[in-house]
Amino acid sequence: MTPRQIIGKIGLWLSVFVIVSPAILFFLWMLSLSLKFEIDNAAYPPVFFPEHIAWKNYADVLASNRFLTYFINSLIVTGSATALALMVGVPAGYGIARMAAHKSAIVILIARITPGLSYLIPLFLLFQWLGLLGTLVPQIIIHLVVTVPIVIWIMIGYFETTPMELEEAALIDGATRWQVFRHVALPIAKPGIAVAFILAVIFSWNNFVFGIVLAGRETRTLPVAVYNMISFDQLSWGPLAAAALIVTLPVLLLTVFAQRQIVAGLTAGAVKGG
Amino acid sequence: MVDYRISRRTLLTGTAAAGALSLTGLPARAEVNWKKYAGTKLEVILAKGPRGDNLQKNLKEFTDLTGIQVEAEQIPEQQQRQKVVIEFTSGRPSFDVVHLSYHVQKRQFEKAGWLADLTPYMKDPNLTAPDLVESDFSAAGLQYAKNDKGQMLSLPWSVDYFILYYNKELFEKKGVAVPKTLDEMLAAAEKLTDPKEGIYGFVGRGLRNANMAMWSNFFLDYGGEFLDAKGNILTDGPEAIAATKLYQTLLTKAAPPGVAGFNWMESMASFTQGRSAMWIDGVGWAPPLEDPAASRIVGKVGYTVVPAGPKGQYSSTYGDGIGVAAASKNKEAAYLLCQWAVSKQQGARLLQAGGGVPFRNSILGDPEVQKGVKTKEWLQSVIESGKISKLGLPVVIPVAEFRDIVGAALTATLSGADPAAELKKANDQYRPILERSEKT
Amino acid sequence: MSALRKSTPAAAQSDAAPEKELRPPSYWPFVVPALVVVLAIIIFPWVFTIWMSLNEWKVGSSTTFVGFSNYLRLTSDPRFLESVVHTIAYTALSVLLPLVFGTFAAVVFHQKFAGRGFLRGVFIMPMMATPVAIALVWTMMFHPQLGVLNYFLSLVGIPPQLWVFHPATVIPSLVLVETWQWTPLVMLIVLGGLAAIPAEPYESAQIDGANLWQVFRFITLPLIMPFLFIAGMIRMIDAVKSFDIIFAITQGGPGSASETINIYLYSVAFTYYDLGYGSAIAVVFFLLIVALAAVMLYARQRMVWTEIASDA
Repeated sequence: MTPRQIIGKIGLWLSVFVIVSPAILFFLWMLSLSLKFEIDNAAYPPVFFPEHIAWKNYADVLASNRFLTYFINSLIVTGSATALALMVGVPAGYGIARMAAHKSAIVILIARITPGLSYLIPLFLLFQWLGLLGTLVPQIIIHLVVTVPIVIWIMIGYFETTPMELEEAALIDGATRWQVFRHVALPIAKPGIAVAFILAVIFSWNNFVFGIVLAGRETRTLPVAVYNMISFDQLSWGPLAAAALIVTLPVLLLTVFAQRQIVAGLTAGAVKGG
Repeated sequence: MVDYRISRRTLLTGTAAAGALSLTGLPARAEVNWKKYAGTKLEVILAKGPRGDNLQKNLKEFTDLTGIQVEAEQIPEQQQRQKVVIEFTSGRPSFDVVHLSYHVQKRQFEKAGWLADLTPYMKDPNLTAPDLVESDFSAAGLQYAKNDKGQMLSLPWSVDYFILYYNKELFEKKGVAVPKTLDEMLAAAEKLTDPKEGIYGFVGRGLRNANMAMWSNFFLDYGGEFLDAKGNILTDGPEAIAATKLYQTLLTKAAPPGVAGFNWMESMASFTQGRSAMWIDGVGWAPPLEDPAASRIVGKVGYTVVPAGPKGQYSSTYGDGIGVAAASKNKEAAYLLCQWAVSKQQGARLLQAGGGVPFRNSILGDPEVQKGVKTKEWLQSVIESGKISKLGLPVVIPVAEFRDIVGAALTATLSGADPAAELKKANDQYRPILERSEKT
Repeated sequence: MSALRKSTPAAAQSDAAPEKELRPPSYWPFVVPALVVVLAIIIFPWVFTIWMSLNEWKVGSSTTFVGFSNYLRLTSDPRFLESVVHTIAYTALSVLLPLVFGTFAAVVFHQKFAGRGFLRGVFIMPMMATPVAIALVWTMMFHPQLGVLNYFLSLVGIPPQLWVFHPATVIPSLVLVETWQWTPLVMLIVLGGLAAIPAEPYESAQIDGANLWQVFRFITLPLIMPFLFIAGMIRMIDAVKSFDIIFAITQGGPGSASETINIYLYSVAFTYYDLGYGSAIAVVFFLLIVALAAVMLYARQRMVWTEIASDA
């Protein structure tokens, strides 16, 4: 190695350290908070490694009744909202990309730009009128506001990069546009669909503003339920951090394991982003 | 998640006594037919906290007593308020029994007609135990629960007085006496402040909106009234200016840096870590302060009433109630639940856990119940505060706007703005909002 | 890659033009279901919001039609006007900082080094974690007396800061959290751009002896500009609407120093229950976001023109 290369290596690793440490330190601190009793959590100078580990913070969260119900609710809401979004969003992304009809994407954009708060009251009244409150349907529907634009946005970018030659050949051979989509375009787009799926899951999972108003006792999702478990009448950083970690853990694991797909999907999807 | 370990044993002995008492103390009158609505199903929406906990935890007893099935849920206060209002607005609320904050919601609920009138039920001996009478509730409670026609729209559940918490160790170290007046308090706070050590004389809410609850103690002590006879807002008068000057001096000269952004939570963190010597806030904080897992000052906390001002001594008072939705189909059963929630047994448990203070004098004044309270000094401060209680916020519909706008003015004075000018500006901003809301 | 880049747009254009003439746009059936779903969800709330913005409606009272008076009220509402200023300041910072750091991070992660995949996964964790929970942990870290941030500053001899507890520093502090959370998104998008850059310009630059900064400034930056633009656009839309972080950490305080339009809208609609006025704020807020997006598009177009001009 030449000295220049060595300096380059050191510079690279220094940069990596600077970039990654805020995330690492934050999550380690969160982990530390979740394992300490309140007295250590509010201590100054901060206690980084506690003498007594407060496993009870986790036990409290997990022991609270219905944890499983809320977890299943979350799975149903996020799962349905993501599945529906893929069903309508992937073909839509394809159609928009092939027609180069970016103007029709404006409607999608409106859904994204609209302040989330302005959906809440009208939709609450609408769902009550339809008699759907008390079921998971309202939450699934409103989560589509989050998932559909993500899926379409990623799929447009992705389909724009996939080569047209095969599709044209298939069309000349007499295939219908649907067949072309189904048998030619879709298989190539799998990485794009994967990333659309992952991002839709994560953003839907984390959403809790909608649930506050639309969810009832039986229909609460995990983030809403965990937020509700946090008692605001006491300083409870330990349980709060434990609850936050439990809620976030599924998506964090998904992130670390699927980061290759996310990067690959986004990278390919963004190639013709301009 | 609320931890009551310290007081659990005392709680049990206390409630056993209270339970025995209420059984033997019944005069031979028409019996309440508790089982009449057996099999009914009730939905209850509660704000998260010790009150909600205390109700939910013991629901089985209510079901055993009445045969009424109850589904209760607790939601953090702010979300609970929103959800309740939205559901009421829709005309078909999903709950029968609702937990409300009087200081925020009283006028709004009354005006909208969302709550059922409980007066007839209270007069019905088949529905109401003989020990539950109107006169047992404290004046503040009745002021909150009754509308201008004298109807009881809810049962007063738990009252929140503001008291002065102080750190005895820090007081001894500096040889400071417990202040009796606001001036003494300011002097003490300045003497106790030692920025080099990271110790400050006073801590309290500086955050907009939340700060109004503490400021009003000063305002009332300086002789302030929120509204004149015509309903005009008076928070830019000389009393308000004097109170704000005190607030400004206290929080800029003797309080931790950044106090302008403190709510009770940050204040408590500073106080429990022994870094602030005095703290004025609601009575409900004794359990965490005396919990060794959360506090470094266990056993060193003094509890006393808020010091007197030049025009009197008041403790700002806020409170919770429990009521029945006017749209409920099970009003009588729902009323039974409300009655049980404010019963002697439940009230005693609440008091002994330090989670709240019943509005009913017969509970607070009962020596048996008092015996079960662990921190006697705290109890004393509660009883004394009850004698000087005064509502801490104007009873108007746009309370939230009031707290936000005047609260922002107070916070502004902490970065050096002139109290008189800020209060005037806030009042000019608030007046049209109040007028608009009262005219419709 | 470069062949693909060059051929695709050309192919798409030459393909699309005759097709529109020969056959009706037969791709519509692919798009219609999504349009129907989205419209079904947003139409009612929009009609409702626009109608309500023309009414005086406080929860618990009846509604009265008042025309545009809610909008007029906005023009003389000091809190609203102030919140517009806060929103713009907050947004500008929350777009710029993640763009700068995200570009830097993308350039670094574009290099090959051991453990890159794992570290990249760690780096994007903030963006994936549940925002409310994250924000609450930050609140504690900002505590001026007890917070861990001031502790770290004290280790390097910097006096304690007030962070979100002082009107002057609250917006930059919140932007710090926002930047921490959303830099990964910019990084991912820019990484996509870097992947698409052909190798030739770098090779010739190396022969010419250009230094790292020159390579970045004159080769990389122009080529990733379209991606930066997209990242900026997405960031802008999200930052303007940012709610969880501000709400959980300061609720708009101290005073109203961090009250953005979205936070004010929340107060008006969900704390004051002034739904008519709140609806008017929502409509104006929406128009403001559209206007900002239009300004960015316009800037982008001008940029393209100047690029072409300088090329010629």
